[in-house]
Amino acid sequence: MGRGFSRNSQTDRSSIVCGTRDHPLFALIQMLIPGDPAPSFDLPAAIDDRIDHVALRRITADLIVLFFYPRDFSFICPTEVAGFNKAMKLFAEENATILGASVDSAESHSRWARELGGLGYPLVADENGETARSYGVFDEKERVAIRATFVIDSERKIAFSSATSINVGRSVSETLRIVRAIRTGRLCPAEWTPGVDFGPDDVKY
Amino acid sequence: MQDGVLTTAGVLAGLSGAVANHSQVVLAALASTVAGALSMGVGAYLGTHAEREVLRTELDRAGKEIRRNPYIAQEELLRELEKEGLSREAGYRVVKLLSTAPGLLVSTTEEKVFGIGGAMLGNPILDGVVMGVAFVAGALVPLAPFVFIAEPRVDLFAALGATAIALYSVGYYEGWLADRQRRWQSGLRFLAIAMGAAAIGYLIGLLISPLGGSAG
Repeated sequence: MGRGFSRNSQTDRSSIVCGTRDHPLFALIQMLIPGDPAPSFDLPAAIDDRIDHVALRRITADLIVLFFYPRDFSFICPTEVAGFNKAMKLFAEENATILGASVDSAESHSRWARELGGLGYPLVADENGETARSYGVFDEKERVAIRATFVIDSERKIAFSSATSINVGRSVSETLRIVRAIRTGRLCPAEWTPGVDFGPDDVKY
Repeated sequence: MQDGVLTTAGVLAGLSGAVANHSQVVLAALASTVAGALSMGVGAYLGTHAEREVLRTELDRAGKEIRRNPYIAQEELLRELEKEGLSREAGYRVVKLLSTAPGLLVSTTEEKVFGIGGAMLGNPILDGVVMGVAFVAGALVPLAPFVFIAEPRVDLFAALGATAIALYSVGYYEGWLADRQRRWQSGLRFLAIAMGAAAIGYLIGLLISPLGGSAG
C-alpha cells in the first residue's frame, strides 16, 4: 500500500549509458551533444505500411530529426508520434526528415502505425537498443530508449539534443523551431521564430 | 468460533481441576464466555475500523494520483498486464477499453498497480457482531453439556467430548473447503490443539488448586 507511480516513472540516470559495459569509454560516454558525430545505423523500419531498412548514410535530407521513444502501444508516446506526423510537411519544407525509433520490432511498428491511423515517416526498429546506446539514451534498467530527440545536420553531426522525463512528452513545435533556426545558419536569439530579427553577424554567441 | 470452543473448554478444564463446586465452574465459564465474546467482538470492530480507515485513505490517495496522471496510470496498468502475461499490444487494447469507463480504469489500476481495492473494505459492525456471536456459539459447545450434566468428571468429559467432535468437524470442514485430499488430518489438527489446550488448562488448575483450598 502507499506506493505510487514514482517507482517506474523516473529514469535512473545511472542506468542510461552509451555503448556496452565492455566499451573502453563506458564510464565516460553520456548522451550525445551538439558537435558529436551522429553514430550511423542501418536498421529495419516500418515505412508506409511496409517493412524496409533505414540507413543514416542513405538519407539525403539536409537535416534529420531522430527521436527515440520508449515503446510502441503506449499512452504517452502516441501524442508525440502523431504530433510529428501532423507536422511532417512543415519539417519537409525545411528539408528535414523525421525518424522515430524504439526497441520494438518493425512488425510492431507497422501495427502501431496502423493503430495511429498511418504515419508518413519511418519508425526504426532498434530491437537490441544498440543505436539508442550509441546515442547515449538507452535505459539499461528498463531496457528501453528514453524520450530523447536529436537533430542531425548535413555533416551528420549532432546539431541539437534533448531528453525529457519518461512521463513528459516533448514539444514537436519546439523541435520545428530548432530545425528552422538551424537552417538559417544565423545567430538566433532566445525564443527566436521565423520573422524575428537575427543576432548581429559579427557576434558569435 | 474455535476461539470460543477452545477458551471455554480450557476454562472448564482448568476450573474443574481447581474448583469442586459445579455451579461456580459454570458461572465462571459463563463469565469467561461473555468477556471473551465482548473482547473478541470489540477487537474485531476496532481492527476492521482501523483497517478500513487506512485503506480508505490509501484508495483516496491512489484515486487522486490516477486522475491527476491518467497517462501514467494507463502505462503502469499496461506494464502490470504485461507482467501477468498479456502481450503489449493486447494489454494496450485492454487498457484502452478500460479507459472508456474512467471509474473502471481507476478501480482496476488501484487493484493491479497499487494492490488495493474497494472490495477489501470491511464492515466493522458486522465483523464485530459476527466475531462475538461466533465466540458465543463456539463456547456453547463445551458449555452446554457441562451445564446439563452435574456429575463430577462426567461433566468435564462430556464437555471435552463435544469440544473434540466440534473441533474435528470444523477442521474437517476446513479441509473440505480447501479441497484437501486428507481432510481427516485437518480435523485431527484441530482436535490436537483442543486437547492440548484443555490438558494444559487442567494441569494448571491442578497446580493452583491448593491456593483455593479445594480440589476437584
